[in-house]
Amino acid sequence: MKLKSQLPVLALLLWFWPLFLKAQLSPGDLCEPHAHLEGLSKCTLCHTLGNKVSDQKCLDCHQALDRRIKASKGYHTSAEVVGKSCVSCHNDHHGRNFQIIRFEENKFDHRLAGYPLEGAHQKTACRDCHQKKFIADSEIAAQKYTFLGLDTECLSCHDDYHQQSLPADCLSCHDFNAFKPAPQFNHDKAKFILLGKHLETACEECHPTTQRNGKTFQQFNNLKFGKCTDCHEDVHDNKFGNDCKKCHSEVSFRQLNKNHVFDHNRTSYPLEGRHATVACAACHKKRITDPLRFRYCIDCHEDYHRGQFTASAATADCEACHTTEGFGSSTYTLERHQQSGYPLNGAHQATACSECHQKSGDWNFRDIGRQCVDCHADLHQGFIPDSYYPASACTNCHSEESWASIRFDHNLTSYPLQGRHQGPSCRACHFSGQDPAKPVQRFSGLSQQCSACHQDNHQGQFDRDGLTDCLRCHDPSNWKAEKFDHTKTRFPLEGKHAQAACGDCHKTLPVTGKSYVLYKINDFRCEACH
Amino acid sequence: MQKATHRLYLILLTLMVAAAGIYLTALGWDYYQTGLEERFFHQSHELLKPSGLWGHGLGVAGTLLILGGVFGYMARKRYRFMRHWGLLKHWLEFHIFLCTLGPLMILFHTSFKFGGIVSISFWSMVAVFLSGIAGRFIYLQIPRSIEGRELSLNEVRGMRTGLSNEMKAATGMDSTLIAQLTSLTESAGTTSSRNYLANYLSDRKLISQALNLMKQKGLAPPVKKKIKKLIASELSLNHRIARLQKMQQLFRYWHVAHLPFALVMLVIMVIHVVVTILFGFKWIF
Repeated sequence: MKLKSQLPVLALLLWFWPLFLKAQLSPGDLCEPHAHLEGLSKCTLCHTLGNKVSDQKCLDCHQALDRRIKASKGYHTSAEVVGKSCVSCHNDHHGRNFQIIRFEENKFDHRLAGYPLEGAHQKTACRDCHQKKFIADSEIAAQKYTFLGLDTECLSCHDDYHQQSLPADCLSCHDFNAFKPAPQFNHDKAKFILLGKHLETACEECHPTTQRNGKTFQQFNNLKFGKCTDCHEDVHDNKFGNDCKKCHSEVSFRQLNKNHVFDHNRTSYPLEGRHATVACAACHKKRITDPLRFRYCIDCHEDYHRGQFTASAATADCEACHTTEGFGSSTYTLERHQQSGYPLNGAHQATACSECHQKSGDWNFRDIGRQCVDCHADLHQGFIPDSYYPASACTNCHSEESWASIRFDHNLTSYPLQGRHQGPSCRACHFSGQDPAKPVQRFSGLSQQCSACHQDNHQGQFDRDGLTDCLRCHDPSNWKAEKFDHTKTRFPLEGKHAQAACGDCHKTLPVTGKSYVLYKINDFRCEACH
Repeated sequence: MQKATHRLYLILLTLMVAAAGIYLTALGWDYYQTGLEERFFHQSHELLKPSGLWGHGLGVAGTLLILGGVFGYMARKRYRFMRHWGLLKHWLEFHIFLCTLGPLMILFHTSFKFGGIVSISFWSMVAVFLSGIAGRFIYLQIPRSIEGRELSLNEVRGMRTGLSNEMKAATGMDSTLIAQLTSLTESAGTTSSRNYLANYLSDRKLISQALNLMKQKGLAPPVKKKIKKLIASELSLNHRIARLQKMQQLFRYWHVAHLPFALVMLVIMVIHVVVTILFGFKWIF
């Protein structure tokens, strides 16, 4: 074979060699973080001629790691790494997307990094902690990829929920499992030791959320706790002083100390009268400290009057009439009754309350009526025409002063009363009958003849046509026979006759059981008398 | 070397190459299938990576095999004092063996990662290998002396004249039949076209005619088989004679491709080896 014939081809190849030389000698692309080291002139930045890759050249760049290794800190000083070359783990030239740091998160033993992962940290993704914002060293934070630079202090990653109100030693209260609860915290070591109900109380009850630096947080210190009232409301309005423990304990607000002395009179409801002798349980039915209503008597007492006084006025209370001395007596005076809708007059003032207000056994104070007939029986019903007392208005004749005092104008009738007729009681003419308890009334239809009421003592001697007109002789004013004129008789008195006593001539004659004077003498002969 | 022994020797060489290929494939099957960015984390990476104990060793061994194969064969052809050191044909066969096994090892040395300047060397090697296969085909088309030297056109034509005598000596047939068969082959193959398929069909037709002729004469089957083989050989020779000039020209062009690629391969390989050693990758040394 002639070399001449090969020369053009060789020349062609030689011509293109510089192009080939421009291509890298590299066995493969560097990974993304090392991409800036790509290029023929940069090989020795990592490679040492004759001695592969030098660890020192790696650390010349990775200075932060170098400092940690020199300080014997971190994973790269652990037994797993010491003695290995950098490239045995962090190889390169395997392509741009090669993972030069490959963490199998589940397999990496974080203890080797000098910070064992415990609790919730074990479930946290690497990148949740290994973030630039948590790296204090700005030089490390500026690196594009790094697992360095994190501090082991909790607050280097976590927000200070307590807003610097507590020491930065989070683990003295919290563990790694969760922020809440804080199992390491022992309240017994605090200045305020929890006893009784305080042990069951939610933290938030005493440790309120508040604001600081524009953030809401729960306050755990600088809380006042010297007095119970620093947290608790004083339901007694300071009536018993500040020392709640004199009566109460932490076991329960409602469970009082056995040896406590309780002065009820310091409460809002001092015990007076018969209340002072009532057993506590009579009012405090369940627990003694259960709050009771006491504004009105009916808060405890049954309303004997069935709402008669409270129906129209909500504030009306028993004490308006009664006292704590007893329910039987009343402070309701006559004067107050006079100011009521039915002032008491006359005989009513002397009438017992029960006569009107306890007619049917129960006491009634409402709607018992104001008409006389609401209480009194109308004796005259059916006997006196309604025209004389319309609507049963008794007061047309009677007054409250006395039932017996009657002021009826008899002149309104067809029989005005004259003379001695004005004296007798009404009953004398209008009531009759043998039994005074059951008199027979007659107010209408009465005869105006004297004999209708009066007995004829003259035994009918002066009858004319069956009627005896007494007024021919008698005057109603005194009942004397002053109108009798002997001269108008058939035997006018003359002479000695005029001086003679009446009985000398008019003899008293006996008649069955009685006697009468014979005035009608029919025999005028002298010898008839003489 | 006996023909059978030589055949066994060639089979052995072939089997060695095949065994090496199968073994290397089986050894790194999982590793070589792993993506480039994942290989570092593969358990076999340390062993099979190009700079690993095994991978680097393949590179060194493959390079030595190729160098031995190339320069040994070149020296045998070039230097007079080596002229009597075995048959050139055998040197060629060993050249093919070394330069097949060597690239195979280089292929596994690369771990099928072809990048950077050294890939030029690799692809040049592939080109040399493929051109070698093509060259072997062309080589066979040129009739050679027993030493492997190319025969001239006249020497080749001279080989044809003995056919009728060979037939007569082998079969004892009458000269009329031999003349008829010879006339069949004389006309065919002398104007060989480029169309290999047409040539093949034409040859088949001619052999069929010869078989019919022998059947009419009632020749015995062993004789028929022998004559058929002689005719086929004759026809092949005819084609070779027809293609000889073209093949000789093609073979010259082939050298132009085969050797420069080998040179490129070698030069860049040297750069690759120097850089490797320079950066401290010295295998076991």
